[in-house]
Amino acid sequence: MSTFQRRADQHPEGGGRSAGHDALTPVAPPLGLAPPRRFPLSHAGLALLAIFIVLALWQGLAVAVQQLRGVPFPTPYDTIERLLYLGRGRPLLEFTIYRHLADSLLRWGTGFAMAMVLGIIAGLLLGWSRLLERLIMPTIHVLQLIPGLAWIPVAILLFGIGERSTIFMIAVTAFAPIVINTTAGVKGVDEMYVRAARMMGADDRTLFLRVLLPGSLPHLLSGLRVGLANGWRVLVAAEMIVGTGTGLGYSILQARWTLDYTSSFACLLIIVGIGLTVERGIFGPLERRTVERWGLARAG
Amino acid sequence: MIAMIELHQVSKVFHNDENGQHVQALQQVSLEIEENEFVCLLGPSGCGKSTLLNLVAGFEQPTAGRVLFGDGPVTGPARDRGVVFQEPTLFPWLTVEQNVEFGLRNLHLDAPQRRQVAGRFLTLVGLQDFARARPHQLSGGMKQRVALARVLALNPRALLMDEPFGSLDAQTRDRLQDELLRIWQIHRKTVLFVIHNVEEAVYLADRVAVLAPAPDSIIADLPISIPRPRDRFSPEVREATMALIGVLANLPCCVLPSQSEEARQTMQLQEGG
Repeated sequence: MSTFQRRADQHPEGGGRSAGHDALTPVAPPLGLAPPRRFPLSHAGLALLAIFIVLALWQGLAVAVQQLRGVPFPTPYDTIERLLYLGRGRPLLEFTIYRHLADSLLRWGTGFAMAMVLGIIAGLLLGWSRLLERLIMPTIHVLQLIPGLAWIPVAILLFGIGERSTIFMIAVTAFAPIVINTTAGVKGVDEMYVRAARMMGADDRTLFLRVLLPGSLPHLLSGLRVGLANGWRVLVAAEMIVGTGTGLGYSILQARWTLDYTSSFACLLIIVGIGLTVERGIFGPLERRTVERWGLARAG
Repeated sequence: MIAMIELHQVSKVFHNDENGQHVQALQQVSLEIEENEFVCLLGPSGCGKSTLLNLVAGFEQPTAGRVLFGDGPVTGPARDRGVVFQEPTLFPWLTVEQNVEFGLRNLHLDAPQRRQVAGRFLTLVGLQDFARARPHQLSGGMKQRVALARVLALNPRALLMDEPFGSLDAQTRDRLQDELLRIWQIHRKTVLFVIHNVEEAVYLADRVAVLAPAPDSIIADLPISIPRPRDRFSPEVREATMALIGVLANLPCCVLPSQSEEARQTMQLQEGG
């Protein structure tokens, strides 16, 4: 029980935070309340502008490289054109882009799902027991320090060349941030919640599932977010040893031999697009439906 | 009469790992509370009232002495002793109704039964219309009503209340106290109520115990035999209040953790013995 630090200042029901802001800024409007809108652009407008900036920088870089080094650096236009071409089902390295995408998503999903289940269980246990945390957390920190590519020899030694090595690399890079954040989340759960649950007769299982797990959810979601991104980013490295000839990462690497850089860029664009979609399309709504609805939104 | 809660020569020393200091929160405190008795525990802040309550709740273990509840020693928190904390400590991830159902899940009731019990107790505290709300949408007084309903739903043998209405405005506090008394008349329970307002203690209690800071212990234990229902402004309440204020006036107003030397000696005595 003593592993729980009482954190009165983070009590989710305390209104002290906003009151504090008021006291500190008696004249200016309280922080967190949006001032009258200064930008004439809507959200969508700003998002479009942000995309335009990226494309403009890319275009500038492409033109500069073409001029200075004389190599055919793909422009956004080339890339999107190639993307549409591949989207019509034309083969890339013997398979359609859809096959590459589906295989990558399957590997990513499998690896991440394993990391999520094991990571949350480990995080709950490490957050619960100070002894376990002291014994095991250093290992987790070491795992986190190892760069994605460095797992290749480990994966090959463990599983050989193939699907399982690829999934292992995705899982192992997603695992550490999930554990670390879940542990922090559990330790941050107000001890008073634990006492309240116990005096209402909660057994360990109820305490874990209905108090510690939801109580640590804000941190846990951050951990999943980082883990998912780590797993996706390591895809290229992980597919170096996939052995089957499919996958977006594999296709990017093959450009070394085929010199088809435009297709690599197209695959890269898909990877970025998928990452953004998951971040905006899954985690944003998930947080709104849980953390914010409970009035737990972390003061930013 | 049967003693429901019994403290025998209970001492509690807190050890601060960071500065190595010992703080004597309670020293040889004895107190008996009978079944269905409403006892208010008064005392200056820092005298160990909440510590005493936490010992009875089972959140803390005594350094010396025995804490008994019902037939046996207190070994940990359990649903026969419902606690209403200073802060509501409702689970923000559950609705009001789910908060009240929380303890019922461990009683192996099925979902319709749980809902029915929760509904009954939410009605009892006047919050039946807020069953689907989230705790953060409620006012402080409403949250404490839910906190009361969730322990009453478990039909505990004792209610342990740690200044639950202390942070509410005076009007809300009075109303909640009246409601608590009304509910207590219907569902008789042993009540240990930690409080710092003398007049409110007299208004509520069958008996008021005054706890002085360690090394003192319970320095006054007054039965309040004013018939119920009581009037906060009646001369009897006023008279009993004045008597208690006289007792409290002889105590220091607050206590610094300066008894570390004494506490250390106590620890050494215990280790030697």
